[in-house]
Amino acid sequence: MILLRLISWPYVRKHLLRSILTTAGIALGVALLVGMRTANDSVLRSFNDTVDRIAGKAQLQVSAGDAGVAEDVLERVQAAPEVSAAAPVIETSVETGLAGQGKMLVLAVDMTGDRSLRNYDFDGGDEDVIDDPLVFLAQPDSLIITREFADRNGLRTGSKVSFETMEGARQFTVRGILKAGGMAAAFGGNLGIMDIYAAQQVFGRGRRFDRIDIGLAEGVSIEAGTAALQRALGGGYEIEPPSGRGKQFESLLRIYNTAVSISSLFSLFIGMFIIYNSFAIAVTQRRAEIGILRALGATRGQIRALFLGESAVAGLIGSTAGLGAGLAFARSLTGVTGRLMENIFGVPQNAQEVSLDPRFLVGALALGVVVSMIAAYIPARSAARVEPVQALQKGRYQVLGAGENRARRWAAAACVALGLACLWAGAYRPLAFAGYSLTVAAMLLLAPFLSLELARALRGPLRRFKPIEGSLAVDSLIQAPRRTSATVAALMLSLALVIGQGGVARASYESIRGWVDTTLNPDLFITATENIASRGFRFPASMIPEVTKLPAIEETQPVRTARVQFRGKPVMLVAIDMESLGRRVRRIVVAGNIEEMNRRSAAGQAVILAENLANLEHLGLGDMVEIPTPRGGLRLPVAGVIRDYSNQLGSIFLDRKVYIREFQDDTVDLFRVYLRPGVAPEEGRRQIIEGLGSRRRMFVLLNRDVRDYVLGLTNQWLGMTRIQVIVAVLVAVLGIVNTLTVSISDRRRELGVLRAVGGLRAQIRGAVWLEAAAIGAIGLVLGLSAGAVVLYYELQVIQRDVGGMPLAYIYPLGVAATLIPIILGAALAAAIVPAEAAVRSSLVEALEYE
Amino acid sequence: MIRLNGVSKQFDGKRKVVALDSVDLDVARGELVSIVGPSGSGKSTLLNLIGGLDRPSSGKIEIDGRDVASLSDDDLTRLRRDKIGFIFQFFNLLPSLTCVENVALPLHLKGLPRKEIESRARDLLELVQLGTRMDHLPDELSGGERQRVAIARALAFNPPILLADEPTGNLDTHTGAEILRLIHDLHDRLGATVLIVTHDSGVAQSCPRTVTLRDARIAGDARR
Repeated sequence: MILLRLISWPYVRKHLLRSILTTAGIALGVALLVGMRTANDSVLRSFNDTVDRIAGKAQLQVSAGDAGVAEDVLERVQAAPEVSAAAPVIETSVETGLAGQGKMLVLAVDMTGDRSLRNYDFDGGDEDVIDDPLVFLAQPDSLIITREFADRNGLRTGSKVSFETMEGARQFTVRGILKAGGMAAAFGGNLGIMDIYAAQQVFGRGRRFDRIDIGLAEGVSIEAGTAALQRALGGGYEIEPPSGRGKQFESLLRIYNTAVSISSLFSLFIGMFIIYNSFAIAVTQRRAEIGILRALGATRGQIRALFLGESAVAGLIGSTAGLGAGLAFARSLTGVTGRLMENIFGVPQNAQEVSLDPRFLVGALALGVVVSMIAAYIPARSAARVEPVQALQKGRYQVLGAGENRARRWAAAACVALGLACLWAGAYRPLAFAGYSLTVAAMLLLAPFLSLELARALRGPLRRFKPIEGSLAVDSLIQAPRRTSATVAALMLSLALVIGQGGVARASYESIRGWVDTTLNPDLFITATENIASRGFRFPASMIPEVTKLPAIEETQPVRTARVQFRGKPVMLVAIDMESLGRRVRRIVVAGNIEEMNRRSAAGQAVILAENLANLEHLGLGDMVEIPTPRGGLRLPVAGVIRDYSNQLGSIFLDRKVYIREFQDDTVDLFRVYLRPGVAPEEGRRQIIEGLGSRRRMFVLLNRDVRDYVLGLTNQWLGMTRIQVIVAVLVAVLGIVNTLTVSISDRRRELGVLRAVGGLRAQIRGAVWLEAAAIGAIGLVLGLSAGAVVLYYELQVIQRDVGGMPLAYIYPLGVAATLIPIILGAALAAAIVPAEAAVRSSLVEALEYE
Repeated sequence: MIRLNGVSKQFDGKRKVVALDSVDLDVARGELVSIVGPSGSGKSTLLNLIGGLDRPSSGKIEIDGRDVASLSDDDLTRLRRDKIGFIFQFFNLLPSLTCVENVALPLHLKGLPRKEIESRARDLLELVQLGTRMDHLPDELSGGERQRVAIARALAFNPPILLADEPTGNLDTHTGAEILRLIHDLHDRLGATVLIVTHDSGVAQSCPRTVTLRDARIAGDARR
């Protein structure tokens, strides 16, 4: 501790800018990790909080995915002796239309029985409503809101609230206001409660509920209750505690979480290089100091502990700053992430508050410190190995020894060989990841050698361009590879990440566009919600002939999409007339014969799987698929595998007749509409709106609207990962500033001589800028090359472990071309302050500098 | 050629240090002057001020009739480049450049044509008897040879003023004597005004004029 105060603190004070930049590397990594993760957690916790609050005393919930449960199931549940209370629920979100209020979560319940499960704690005299539920039931426009919502919008009992229903915009009357807290705090207070039978009508549920909430009889355990209900209902229903919904949502978030985690850790990894770089330089610059300490009796362990202690303090400061910045970042990101999840998965979100997980925050703090110490370990070990006599001699300590270079090359070759071996045996998941890690390790090992060779190659052109400035710039890199290599490595890694992400984005976009071109070919789409992914509103089956008989329409394909649990994951069941689909859509076949899969699926004898689901679940032609249904379960073979990007966890296509039979659900989410030849889409839309729009809430979308929506959503999704890429580049820029600051400090005398013998300020600036540009150029060459490899592995990871989607390898040339001016510009910008420091420092001191 | 009038230099730190105190000095064109004095007497400060490496706290310095204080940083740099050659105790060669590149450095900085630079740098190295070491790096040379390269570089523009700060201070006696002979020889042949800061009484006595500094003031000015 005393050494930290006596030795380290003066050094930090003397090199304050560098110390700040060093800690900034870790701060950024931690900030990104904390920000992204906290935002995701906040969305998840907000969802869980809403689930918990509206679950009340319910111990179990019975559902059948998005298909819902028929009314008669309620009676069977209530008849079970293990059940003390069973209450049906419909849950959906609606736009309130009130300025700044966004969505309201509507919980529709049967007031006659629901109070046994949920506490309705009313303000003032509103108790009367519930004391006589029949009053509530008799008025189907009744709505209970929360005190918070009422206060925010100046509402009171008797006020009118309007929102869209399947029957168009309808006014509801506030007949009760819940006290703040408890259930009333669900969905950020934007909660509305209405009668379930009114909700069946206005939200198009037919005679079905979304789920049944259950309270168990005294002494009945959750396990016993679940088993009893399974016996009473047969297979095909999901019976689980309310927390199960959170788990389902979590599995939907998994892909996004994985992408975020990989990029966050990558950034922290890059931050580690900044720390390594700074400490490696500090050790070389402080050799004399180390020599004196050693001569005075400091042990190797004390020297090592000194540097590790410094790194721990730097890590702690950086991590603390990162925590603060990350939480601020999370505040602005939480709402955005929630909306994105809602748009993609159709699960209503109202995450506004950032929820803190103290264990995670402490973990992130510790991670920052540990990463910092790991990064400083090698420099600390080098410091400990310094011999006093050797340390007090002057020498070219920044030079990499030939032996060191050779050892690195051998290690890199070994990593490449092992990586290739892993690739060859890549079917086994850990081996594939090991291959990826080994390849990254090989790149890092080769970075110093390659940057040295590239610097040598740059010497000629730069000398021709600017004889003195060019030579000085490149020679600085050649003579002190230790100073530059970590920055180049950090830049290489971050650019490789950009290329990897850019390539994935490009490949995803191209693949999805190709799929959109072939699959989304109807002229019009009729949906019940603006958000195509949402299934909160549904059309009744009676609407099918109404649509079909319109003169402009040649054919319609009613579609019902329902998320169901398949092998423990919420996958999408797409129920559609398979004969019509086969006739109308030219699908991209991955496995199977197109005619046969169309014929068998249309006959209800088989299902067709999306390629990503087949990949993730290792399913192929002829394999049996078991889907839980209210009738006990559906077992059908796979007749074909097609390319489909409609759902990230995968889709199962089955004929609508089979779905209706198995799920007793004939509602429709979406109509795919084909117009008669010669009918303009706008005319078709006009006819639909005029014919049906006055009676029902509906959105008629043109083909291009849907294409734009899907591609826009794809861009939005990919946009989230771009944030991390920007930060990764920022971390690399910090590295360049750091390196240049040190380079100028190292070369003070050299630059002083240059000025003494007639170098003008512009020429000195030129030398520094050229050095920065050379670092940028070398980083670009290595990063863009490494990116080609990273892209390959990222596509493999996506196909194998994340989305199951095979994406074409397309090197993102556009991204690479964009990066060149960005990085060179950033390098030059990074050089401004160091260059000014170089030209403004005292010439006399520079010439006397040792 | 060089005129100092009431020149003072003060360094402002925790404690103020007066490095030069009201110094007046005239050096005529073509003179060879040694500056001596104990450590901390202000010798190097005086040389730095004359060479335009630093600016005085007060007083006036004229070089070849131009007031140094009125010059901008870049104009001062041009004055240094064109009129003053520096020879440092620690040579201050750039380790990454060869001998010929080091000598060519100021010529490149002025932007002369490449052919002219190459030919001039080689001529200068021949002048200091290093014609066989043109493409060697400084690390590959002895101390004396390095100082010769530094002298060749100082002569790049045939400057009318040559300032040498302990030019033999980092060399053994024999090599130091050689370098001193070279400086005298160049002075005779080129007619430059030469100022040598030194601790070495032999070096001082070899010069026709010796200025002695003590406690930041001129304590003696002897001509032989």
